[in-house]
Amino acid sequence: MENDILLKIEGLRARVEDKEILKGVDLTVRKGETHVVMGPNGAGKSTLSSVLAGKPQYTVTDGAVTFMGRDLLKMSPEERSWAGIFLSFQYPVEIPGVSITNFMKTAVNSRRKALGEEPLTAAAFLKLMKEKMALVQMRQEFAKREVNVGFSGGEKKRNEIFQMAMLDPVLSILDETDSGLDVDALRIVAEGVNTLKTPEKATIVITHYQRLLDYIVPDIVHVLKDGRIVKTAGKELVAQIEEQGYDSIN
Amino acid sequence: MDEIIIKSGKTFRSMFLAAAHDAPELTGSGICGFDVLSGREFSTHVVLEENASADIPVLIMPGADTRMDFRIELAGPGASCRLFGLYLCPDTENVTINVELFHRVHHCSSHQLFKGIVSGKARTGFYGRIVVDPDAQVTEAYQENHNLLLSDTARVDTQPQLEIYADDVKCSHGATIGKLNEDEQFYMRSRGIPENEAKVLQMVSFISSVLDILPEGNGREKLAAYVEHAVRTSF
Repeated sequence: MENDILLKIEGLRARVEDKEILKGVDLTVRKGETHVVMGPNGAGKSTLSSVLAGKPQYTVTDGAVTFMGRDLLKMSPEERSWAGIFLSFQYPVEIPGVSITNFMKTAVNSRRKALGEEPLTAAAFLKLMKEKMALVQMRQEFAKREVNVGFSGGEKKRNEIFQMAMLDPVLSILDETDSGLDVDALRIVAEGVNTLKTPEKATIVITHYQRLLDYIVPDIVHVLKDGRIVKTAGKELVAQIEEQGYDSIN
Repeated sequence: MDEIIIKSGKTFRSMFLAAAHDAPELTGSGICGFDVLSGREFSTHVVLEENASADIPVLIMPGADTRMDFRIELAGPGASCRLFGLYLCPDTENVTINVELFHRVHHCSSHQLFKGIVSGKARTGFYGRIVVDPDAQVTEAYQENHNLLLSDTARVDTQPQLEIYADDVKCSHGATIGKLNEDEQFYMRSRGIPENEAKVLQMVSFISSVLDILPEGNGREKLAAYVEHAVRTSF
């Protein structure tokens, strides 16, 4: 059904500097679905997530992207966030001098303001923080830490999932979330993601490896190769890639 | 030039504030000082005797044109001085800070930290000279000046100058001119923080290391709120 469609990407072409990376991507994500986009290095996986998030260095040269019926490409990064898109970064940036508490309070209340809601009271906000930190098993002392400064790879990824829990997006895009994680952290990230799953929401997991998919079970698997989606199938495709490699997919 | 002599073992604390308007919100904050109104030149000469210390915060607010000259002499062993401050120049301000700091004798220490946010068509200059006399052994003298240059039409000059004549010393100076990090901004915007608010967070974090030098408490909180409000509404 048309009103079940959250994200529709049609013929998307994009370049960074002079190099064309996406060469006509088509992808449709409906409510309740978990999609996986897999591909070899250089296929365009990070470019796809960057373009969806609105990263300035990337230029869309053709195609259309709609999110809940709205033209996504016309929206600023903050507008996309308010509309309900969340990108968990592959390499989260450090923000010295800004605490996680201050950062999240500004993000949560900016969103509420954009949606015409009252800001949360200090008490309500702290309660929300505590609840979501517990959900992703993040130690309380992290609330005072500067965003990502001195964090291990696993701690940075857990912080991404924590932010996702706080902002409660409709569409989550996890960009190579499983790189740099140990098995325990992997399980916590997956548990956080699975706990937040509802029939009204959707997730796109972008990954090179199969590991995370032992814990987050996909409904639909796509293979991105040379800037295009060359194959779409069910989760059995994951095993085929693991056994025979990306060269076996055409 | 006013001359202020800090007697042996005593501490001098006084803030130099240049602002275009009165700051009633700072009353009762425990920060006492000389209010220098915009458009004036102000010079001060501080001489520190044995084991005397001086803590001198400087704050130059948006809309203030000013030139401040500081001449500081560490004249007795064990004397120490911290000279630190902020200048916020979003528009057409003209601000100059001259520091001449002399280590005359042994076992003295000095720390300077100035940060500025400069935009519009403002022009600022920080000129910091440190002289360590030949007899001033076991000296520690540090100076830093960091600037955010936020427009193509603003101008920042920064000129450290060290003259060291003793040999058992620890001295360093650092000067930077940079802009706000765009990757940080994108990360914040992707979480729903609007662009201008993201920049405010970055600017407030930039100046926080200077405010953190003030003693913790009500005075610092009031000053931080006063400065943060200026950053939020002027840039």
